[in-house]
Amino acid sequence: MVVKRVPTYCYQCVSGPDLLYVMVEDGKPIGIEPNYDISDKHPARGRICAKAYGLIHKTYNPFRIKSPMRRTNPRKGISEDPKWEEITWDEALDLVAAKLREARAKGLLDENGYPRLAVTLGEAGTPMGYYGSFNAFLAAWGPVDYSFGSGQGVKCYHSEHLYGEYWHRAFIVAADSQRTKLVLSFGHNDNATGGVNSIWKHMSAKDRGMKWIQFEPHMSVTAATADEWIPIRPKSDGAFMLAMMNVMLHEMDWRESTDVDFVKRMTNAPYLVGPDGFYVREKGSGKPLVWDPVEGRARAFDDDGIKDFALTGEYTVEGFEMGPDKETVREGEMRAKPVFELLREHVKPYTPEWASGITDVDPRTIRRITREFVESASIGATTEVEGLQLPLRPVAILTGRGVSNGWGAYLVVWARTVLGALVGALETPGGMVGATTRLNKPMHDRLATVRIGEDGFMAQSLNPTGKGLWRIDSKSRNFHRALSPLVLDSSWSQALGPSTIAWYFMDSPAQNWPRVTPPDIYMIFRGNPMVSFMDPDLIARDLSRMPFMVAFAFTIDETNWFADVLLPEASDLEGLQLFAIGGTSYMEQLWDYIGVALRQPAAVNRQVNSMDMTDISTELAARAGFLREYNEAINRGILGYPLKTPMYDFSLDPERKYSAEEIWDRVCRAATWTLSGGDEVHGLDWFREHGFYLARFSRLNWYLHPLMVAKKLRYEVPYNERLYRVGRELERRLHEIGVHWWDAKLDEYTPFPVWEDPLDKWDEWVRELGEDPREYPFWMISTKAMPQLGSTTVANALLADVSRLIAGQRALLMNARVGRAMGLRDWDEVLVEAPTGKTARGFVQLREGVRPDVVVASGQLGNWLTPVAKDIKMININLLTKMSMTTLDGTGSTADLLRVRIRRVD
Amino acid sequence: MTHWAMVVEAYKCTGCQTCTTACKVENATPPGVYWRRVLDLEVGEYPNVRRVFLPTQCMHCEDPPCVSVCPTGASRRRDDGIVYIDYDVCAGCGLCALSCPYGARWLIKPYEFYYGEPTEYELNKFDRRMEGAASKCTFCMHRVDRAGETGKKPGVDPEVTPMCVNACPAGVLHFGDLDDPESEVSRILRSKKNFRLLEELRTKPSVYYVLEGEIVLPTEQVAAEP
Repeated sequence: MVVKRVPTYCYQCVSGPDLLYVMVEDGKPIGIEPNYDISDKHPARGRICAKAYGLIHKTYNPFRIKSPMRRTNPRKGISEDPKWEEITWDEALDLVAAKLREARAKGLLDENGYPRLAVTLGEAGTPMGYYGSFNAFLAAWGPVDYSFGSGQGVKCYHSEHLYGEYWHRAFIVAADSQRTKLVLSFGHNDNATGGVNSIWKHMSAKDRGMKWIQFEPHMSVTAATADEWIPIRPKSDGAFMLAMMNVMLHEMDWRESTDVDFVKRMTNAPYLVGPDGFYVREKGSGKPLVWDPVEGRARAFDDDGIKDFALTGEYTVEGFEMGPDKETVREGEMRAKPVFELLREHVKPYTPEWASGITDVDPRTIRRITREFVESASIGATTEVEGLQLPLRPVAILTGRGVSNGWGAYLVVWARTVLGALVGALETPGGMVGATTRLNKPMHDRLATVRIGEDGFMAQSLNPTGKGLWRIDSKSRNFHRALSPLVLDSSWSQALGPSTIAWYFMDSPAQNWPRVTPPDIYMIFRGNPMVSFMDPDLIARDLSRMPFMVAFAFTIDETNWFADVLLPEASDLEGLQLFAIGGTSYMEQLWDYIGVALRQPAAVNRQVNSMDMTDISTELAARAGFLREYNEAINRGILGYPLKTPMYDFSLDPERKYSAEEIWDRVCRAATWTLSGGDEVHGLDWFREHGFYLARFSRLNWYLHPLMVAKKLRYEVPYNERLYRVGRELERRLHEIGVHWWDAKLDEYTPFPVWEDPLDKWDEWVRELGEDPREYPFWMISTKAMPQLGSTTVANALLADVSRLIAGQRALLMNARVGRAMGLRDWDEVLVEAPTGKTARGFVQLREGVRPDVVVASGQLGNWLTPVAKDIKMININLLTKMSMTTLDGTGSTADLLRVRIRRVD
Repeated sequence: MTHWAMVVEAYKCTGCQTCTTACKVENATPPGVYWRRVLDLEVGEYPNVRRVFLPTQCMHCEDPPCVSVCPTGASRRRDDGIVYIDYDVCAGCGLCALSCPYGARWLIKPYEFYYGEPTEYELNKFDRRMEGAASKCTFCMHRVDRAGETGKKPGVDPEVTPMCVNACPAGVLHFGDLDDPESEVSRILRSKKNFRLLEELRTKPSVYYVLEGEIVLPTEQVAAEP
């Protein structure tokens, strides 16, 4: 029998897509192998992740929803059996389309101004790789509310996403590890979540001599391959970084420990700041001033005649300071200091001895690592990239989940960016580069998002906070435009807004703020917020309020239990879609190629009456009466490439209904035309055989540095003068309408972040709950491993079988000495009690690589309905914690952190 | 002559179990049976501790105790070094599993399926002869043996290389011919310090391990004084 190789991809995590072959014999899948044809062009030589090998077992899961289902029990609740009734696809599509038509007839916005349709796309951005043309359906519909989170803002690198994009278009920050010599990783767990690309690159770099130091309260799978593990106290990472700055700027000679030229020309370090904390600006032009020590006078920052930039000292200058709402807060002659001088003053108290008391790291270690960081940066070195001479600064500071989200994350992401900038390792070869842009447009072209803006910096399209410009609008139920200036207002912004708020405010309305009312129609695709967000009791109350819920459903799960209709869409190996690969992407995907890959039916579970997502989308658009708008959205290019340009025309007749094959065939043609500049045009049949198409991608696209230099732009660090103004404006706007519940968040809008122990916020919350933090001696944190069960893999029995081989995947990890002192042994059953009053039972595993004050809960299990997962007894932090305004930071995010106490169950 | 062997650069292993998963798919082993797996170990005490991932499997010993104890002759060693089991002959007595110092052998009785009832994939793929027999890593000899007919080279061409080697995203696993001085495994063994597990038992494994020298525990006190 001939074995056929069917090329397709896996995008079960954002570190894909991984390109693979399903080996098919006599029409039946018999194996999965990497697509070896891409190995010479792929950053990980074409390797694929453990989760991809589980795809056949996923497809043939007998617990899948076998046909569309309709709820017959009108009551909704955790203990309300939906009483599902099997229906045909025709009935299901008509039922959903009728609700869509009804909502359209009433108007796309409800009486409160909210979109009548809300949609949750779960598991980070991975639904994009599976939703076929569903985005065309959504675009054709009109306003849609994406604000109900399924994990974002809690489980993601939220502050890195927002501030990273702001400072250097880095939704994700990666090391340029082909050249990096030293990585300081603060909880960055790439061996678990960076996919094959990160692992291949890091291990190749390890063979080349790259050193990796991992700071983390427990020894994660990434710490295991690190050269050093520093068991830092949870959430104290920012203190360590402040001490690094202290060493560099006070103990070392800053003229040697910093890249003085980079600091002067590529940052706002020379800008003069007046007594009120704002830039001193030139009268007339309004441009920030710098001090030219050669001429002995102040000049506009971009004056061609500047001989040199003063970084230190204090000067008397003539100008004005512009505060919030563009008010002149001071004018005339005033004393002013360069930002760099203020930075030195700011970090002066943050000595290694000070940091040691907070981080539990020996001051000598802090000094040694700081010196290693400076030495490895090789300030002054250059390298050639595709014919261009660029600075070589082979050091990177990476941050991870829990560190780069929630309270304290602003300080961390700022300090890491400033440390990089101080040695010139920002967006230069070997240093820290942005791998992905998701908030700025155009999302697919990071370099194109760099435009010339105010004061010598990149243009920023922050949500307005100025008088007369700020408003509470109802575009999203998490109010991303009103509360989160940094999240911008593009297609991903709603989902990256304060996603807790949509759920929380629907349950507990906030003072002097619009009530959050449920959407007429709620749709969910590949997500399970009941288990993956937090506080399932609250989410259950909200879901019960949703009048009509449609769930694309793989198996029954804890969230689709509340749905009115279940639609079993064609799953990973069953559907058709062309998807972007290559370029720069998260996590550490820096490619020499850019292109597209096909996902195609390679194994089909014949027991499941499924339907392709593109066909579902087309049918719903047609039956709900907006097929023309849907086809036009596809023609405009929402599936990746416009179908009609002055150079080619593969467009759809807007009035006609097309099959998934017909639609993707045209996208294939448009994509190959564009990537090849018109030299090659390939349709669907070609892709079915070849799987992918690539074009060259210049390495100069990996770094912003050449573009920043060409555009004469500076990074807006170390001084956050604009954000300081924005924060004060937002404070005024909120106070003008009597809103004070966001006040604590506004404290984050400071020019330099100050040290405040983030753990205090969690203790404050414990006291609000009426409990004494001292009675809960352990900090529960969470971690991940590559094959572990998550929302899209949770019902996969094969992955369940292999993930249990990793410590902590089936039990809480606890420090061995502490556990023994409590009389515990491996696999003893324990009761975990949280100050929320919630409890959970599970097992413990005693390990040496865990701080004594920490317990570690992996993954997101604790399911009670999802097949396979419900048979695994595992503690999930989401089910123990609760939503609270106190634990939300300025960006509206929080972190997996919870005080608990533990006792043995006899 | 040919002597198939594997080199495991364990210092790069991230414990991701991708090799374990790929092996299970390639060889359709039942749940709980791991022809290969990565052990998740710790050395030292907090805070001076190292977490070590150690991929383990059948060592394809030159002097395999499993072969000498086998009463039926089902366990055999080929001239190219691959130790395998003839499932048709194996009586499933389990002596081999007891004798293997590496815990690499698994008795399958009965064959269990991942979701209880067999799926279409499992029905199609699993080898019924395994039921009631001992089983273990075969160095994917069904792949390696295709080298002759295809003209491809094991350890170089993925089509004829063990799946775990093709799968490892960290570049830990290498496969090749020890008798070929130019093979990748020979080159690594010449250039890097290596060892075999339980060498003192004189089983002469064909699986070699490379660590970054000895496992060195941190000597500097990184944690602050309490």
